[in-house]
Amino acid sequence: MDGFLRRAAIVLLPIAMVMMLAAIWMVFAYVPDERVMGPVQRIFYFHVPAAIITFFSVFVLLAGSIGYLWTRHTAWDQLSRAATEIGLLFCTIVLITGPIWAKPAWGTWWTWEARLTTTLVLWLLLAACMMVRAYADNRDLGARLASVLGIIAALDVPIIYKAVDWWRGQHPVVFKAGEKTPLEPRMLRTFLFCMATFFVFYGLLLAIRVAIVRLEDRCQALVEASSGDRA
Amino acid sequence: MSSSGYPDAGAGFLNTAVAVARKDLRIEWRTLESLSSMVLFALIVLVVFNFAFDLATIRELGVGKLVPGVLWTTLAFAGIVGFARSFQIESRSDAMTALLLAPVDRGALFAGKTFANLAALVTLELVVVPLSAVFFDYDLLAVAGPTAIVLALHTLGIAELGTLLGAIASRVGRGEALLATLLFPVATPLFISAVKCTAAVLDGGGLASASKWLLIAVGFDLLYLFVGLATFEYVVEE
Repeated sequence: MDGFLRRAAIVLLPIAMVMMLAAIWMVFAYVPDERVMGPVQRIFYFHVPAAIITFFSVFVLLAGSIGYLWTRHTAWDQLSRAATEIGLLFCTIVLITGPIWAKPAWGTWWTWEARLTTTLVLWLLLAACMMVRAYADNRDLGARLASVLGIIAALDVPIIYKAVDWWRGQHPVVFKAGEKTPLEPRMLRTFLFCMATFFVFYGLLLAIRVAIVRLEDRCQALVEASSGDRA
Repeated sequence: MSSSGYPDAGAGFLNTAVAVARKDLRIEWRTLESLSSMVLFALIVLVVFNFAFDLATIRELGVGKLVPGVLWTTLAFAGIVGFARSFQIESRSDAMTALLLAPVDRGALFAGKTFANLAALVTLELVVVPLSAVFFDYDLLAVAGPTAIVLALHTLGIAELGTLLGAIASRVGRGEALLATLLFPVATPLFISAVKCTAAVLDGGGLASASKWLLIAVGFDLLYLFVGLATFEYVVEE
């Protein structure tokens, strides 16, 4: 497992670096300005992949949580621990890039619309998962409580989305207009490339984080074993 | 409790749940510890809201615009005080260990605790909702039926979540502060639905105008009943 993670990280690291540089070049030099919104629309190529990665990460968290409660194998918990943290990171990126785009495009930093509200609440839920884990006295208790909370958080996301959607109505018109006209080929290519870049980047982060979590667990086990010997 | 009150080993789910709920409610009945602090706290929050939005503002905006939010914020905050205590009584003299020694379904413990919390919340509502009608000057009797249905559906969801998340918060030795951090984000859809339904009822629209919100509430209640029953054992397990 450790060998696999190390190899995965070594393979993914150069790919992710090259792809990220290429993605930045495409976003700033290759893709044309959007007709209505102008250059500010370029943030879309990082914002949307980050959002998709956030929700993908919640899905990984759900799988890890159910897997841990079912099998009690620590590998599942290491996976969900990594997915929680990286999900929170990408969620933060979404919440920062969103308003930067929204201010010029919608004229406001924030609106209580379904996607925005769901992302914000999701950020709070992921932070709560990390808090509970940090407060727990031992690893096993933290893993169990965080798994239960992870399942609750993942199940809650679609309900929150639906509830806020009904509460505040549809997404502002800007997005609808964008959806009607198909993306210009260069825009589509840039978007898909950024999407792929973010998935490779996510895979890299996940491999590194899980490897570090495993090292942390081994250190902890060694500390516990040595203090047990002394007593 | 009489000697026959304790379920036998492996006793039925319902018997266990009833026994746990009876135990919690008896402790509450004899001490009134949690209920008195919940009611007092709710009263204070209501009074604070009355200073924040004076009667003139409320009359101008209409009852349906302001009162539902005030009411549910008050109930949620007061509820948190109760949920946290519901597990504090178990940590005193390590009663939780004794409870877990019983060879019974952990889901039944969840059901019993949830029922006791639900009963406490309903009692709280019997005081707070009429008081809010007095403080905010609206005609509660005219909408008593629909209001009761809305309160029941949403209170059940809050009690389920409060019990499950209260157990988590108590396991890591944090009380109300962590519970609030956990409960409010998860309960977002329930609070939106509660406020929408209450507003529909107070505005005289009746339950029909809020039918899709009631659907969300019922779905939420069922989902977290299932989640609670399925995951409670992982939370309380030693």
